[in-house]
Amino acid sequence: MPTNTSELALTEPGTVGPCHVGSDALQGIKRQQTNPTRWNGQGWTEFAAALRDNGIELRVAKAARGIFATDAGGTAYGLPHGVVIARSAAQVAGLLKAAQQFRVPVTVRGGGLTTEGESVAFGGVLLDMTGMSRVLQVDSDALTVRTEGGIFWHSLAEELRRCGMDYLSAPLNMTASVGGTLGVGGIDVNSPRLGCSADQAISLQVVTPTGDIVECSDTQHAELFQRVILGYGQFGVITEATLKIRRYTPLRMHYFYYDSLRTAVEDMQLLNRNDASDYSGILTIMDCAVNLLVAFDSDEREAAFRANWQRHLRGYGESGFALCMLRRYALRPWKLPEAWFLLQRKRELFPEFRRPEYMRDGLMHDRAVVFSRAVWKFWGSKQMVIPDLATSAEKFVEAVERGNAVCRKYFQHYTLYCVGIKLRPEHRPHYEMSCIPPDAEGWAYGCEFEPMMDERVYSRDYLQSFKNAIYDIGVDLGGSYYRFGGMMKGYIRRVFGDEVVDRHLAMKRATDPAMILNRDVIF
Amino acid sequence: MENYKKSVQTAPKSHSDCSGCGLCMLVCPMWRRNRDLQHSPHGCAKALQHGAAPDDLAEALWNCTLCRACDPVCPEQLDISGMILKLRGQLAHPQTTVLQGRMVAQTKRPASACQEKTALLAGEALRAHPALLKRITALLGESGVLAVAHDDGADISLALEAGLAIPPARLAAMIEPLRRADKVIVADGLLLPYLAQWLPAAQIFSLGETLSSLESIRRNLRSTDLYVIEPRAYHADYVRLVKHYDRLRKECGCDFNLDLQRIAIPATVRSLPQRLGLVASNDEDQTRWVLHGRRITRIVVESLEDRAAFEKVCAISVVHLAELADDL
Repeated sequence: MPTNTSELALTEPGTVGPCHVGSDALQGIKRQQTNPTRWNGQGWTEFAAALRDNGIELRVAKAARGIFATDAGGTAYGLPHGVVIARSAAQVAGLLKAAQQFRVPVTVRGGGLTTEGESVAFGGVLLDMTGMSRVLQVDSDALTVRTEGGIFWHSLAEELRRCGMDYLSAPLNMTASVGGTLGVGGIDVNSPRLGCSADQAISLQVVTPTGDIVECSDTQHAELFQRVILGYGQFGVITEATLKIRRYTPLRMHYFYYDSLRTAVEDMQLLNRNDASDYSGILTIMDCAVNLLVAFDSDEREAAFRANWQRHLRGYGESGFALCMLRRYALRPWKLPEAWFLLQRKRELFPEFRRPEYMRDGLMHDRAVVFSRAVWKFWGSKQMVIPDLATSAEKFVEAVERGNAVCRKYFQHYTLYCVGIKLRPEHRPHYEMSCIPPDAEGWAYGCEFEPMMDERVYSRDYLQSFKNAIYDIGVDLGGSYYRFGGMMKGYIRRVFGDEVVDRHLAMKRATDPAMILNRDVIF
Repeated sequence: MENYKKSVQTAPKSHSDCSGCGLCMLVCPMWRRNRDLQHSPHGCAKALQHGAAPDDLAEALWNCTLCRACDPVCPEQLDISGMILKLRGQLAHPQTTVLQGRMVAQTKRPASACQEKTALLAGEALRAHPALLKRITALLGESGVLAVAHDDGADISLALEAGLAIPPARLAAMIEPLRRADKVIVADGLLLPYLAQWLPAAQIFSLGETLSSLESIRRNLRSTDLYVIEPRAYHADYVRLVKHYDRLRKECGCDFNLDLQRIAIPATVRSLPQRLGLVASNDEDQTRWVLHGRRITRIVVESLEDRAAFEKVCAISVVHLAELADDL
């Protein structure tokens, strides 16, 4: 294994060195990496020996390391020197203690669904948390579950459903891990009502960067809890989590179609403000073909919506929207290729959301399965960029419209996914320097801008320029982002400001003296 | 009912097309057992994309149970199990000589031609239970004339699983006697898609689907039953069979060994070395996972292998699907 063989100069943590990511990408923007250190392999041999002495298996074969060469984004590539499969908190603690001693970086990976290289190890150790993916206890009376941190939300759902239970909210992606999600947020279509996934955590078992195993919650080691939740993996590794759960209910799903983004967003916010639905979110085929999905957990809630709110929505039903589009393209015959795309997309997409094996008596039984399968089938590819904007409710329409204009400039086809996040005032400390914008009250709103690659291959710089153009809007609006780590960390100081970043950097240094844990993500 | 071939799509893609969604991992029993990405189709594809050779993945490749659960969940429509078999073909299996010897021996014992329009390939497990086989033949015979094929290709199935090429003479010896059959019912789910290729004029059905289509069996399924689908045949013909079993669920109300993606959770997790008896089987965790949290009074299995596994871990009554039929 390499020791001191890298050509990269060793940069001390906390000092500013050259940035190795997309060097030409931030055109016109002063590069402000917070701590762009690179590790050159120093001390690896001694570190590996220390792990062996501790009985910690370290895999160094090419096949074992190659599995983790990239993340879901497929634009950042890096190989770890070795891989450790997480098996217990004690083992993770042993790993981190040795890593501190020998100053070896440790990159933690759950489902690997990051898109900016946050879960890619550029040298050092890759800690694969999916080795700790068991449900430890389901308490149907207290409505809680205790689970290991590396479990996929879908695996958790499989176990909970056997007891008639369900998680509250989770990303609509079945291979997102619980630990990874709690570290960044986790947005579901019920987040406008229940908040983000990170808000569902009651307590955590965390292994700190110095290898202490600590149980934390809002009342026990509260500061650690606040920093680990939405902390982008900077302050500890989540090895176990206690989460709120609820009784399982299938969904009554409705779709409303709009030809205007603004109208759809305004209607979604109307529903959220008035607690008129249990689920809501926007998914576009094009910016003139916008789908507002609205869903309910019970007949009663659905009936109340029909009685009180449905008439206020300005969206069309399926046939009404077809007529609307017919009018639109009859007046614009030069846009017929666009109409053809729309028609084709509808033919492909709509049946996927109504697959009979996931529907019973008109109810959708597994929303995460339906949406996650569709996401991967229609938007998944080996190269994905999903820049996003998070703002207060008041600024959201502007953010979406400006972001949409950027998408139009860079790509022929793209999708927008918009959803609200109910904020919990008592969790304000969790939200600092996270995807929740500092000025958001009541709800924060997020929009993901996902270009469809259409079998084309784009250069990383082209994609980076696109992301920068979106993220500049966030700086301008004083918002935030879901994905501000990894290759986007050049925006961290610009969007959060020096005071907040320096305070968090000081906490990071105090918690992680050798700056070994997830060092390429934020600091 | 339609037969297997009509729902099959060709997927001429390879592991390099894997986009890394990981959905295959969620349904992989080997991943569940090991909690280790290396033991998953996702892990194998990613390792191969980044420089690993089949030899580097030998353990994972041989451990795959070929339950085919990964095939229908792949959004890229990769033929993952087919790719695993191709990779196995590049490895040297220690039992290659033995498996090839079995095929040579079988070629030298040509079976007589099947004279009936429906043929049953019973497989070794069913042949070891003559009373049950007799019952099945009687049940299937009621709905048409049936012949039990003398050569059911058990040696070919194992050779396919080992990634070996099937000698043309051996294949002909198995297939030619079946040429007159319009319909072939096969107990070994691994063989199902291959038979569809080898006998393009015939309709190919799994034994589980065939039996569960019989009214005499359907009417005896209870809402408190756990019906255990044999995964290999089900996943090989997923698009069509998911509807078949959904109809059965609506009609009988029984529970199935299906996960939230409607993928069949295998009750046993047996790699090829375990099937060959080279390594001891250890199915208990998997079998218990199938039962976990379910309130059932009876287990109905399509596969005899599953019956043995359930009887080992629980006191709930376990019956083969054919045993549900009213007395003949």
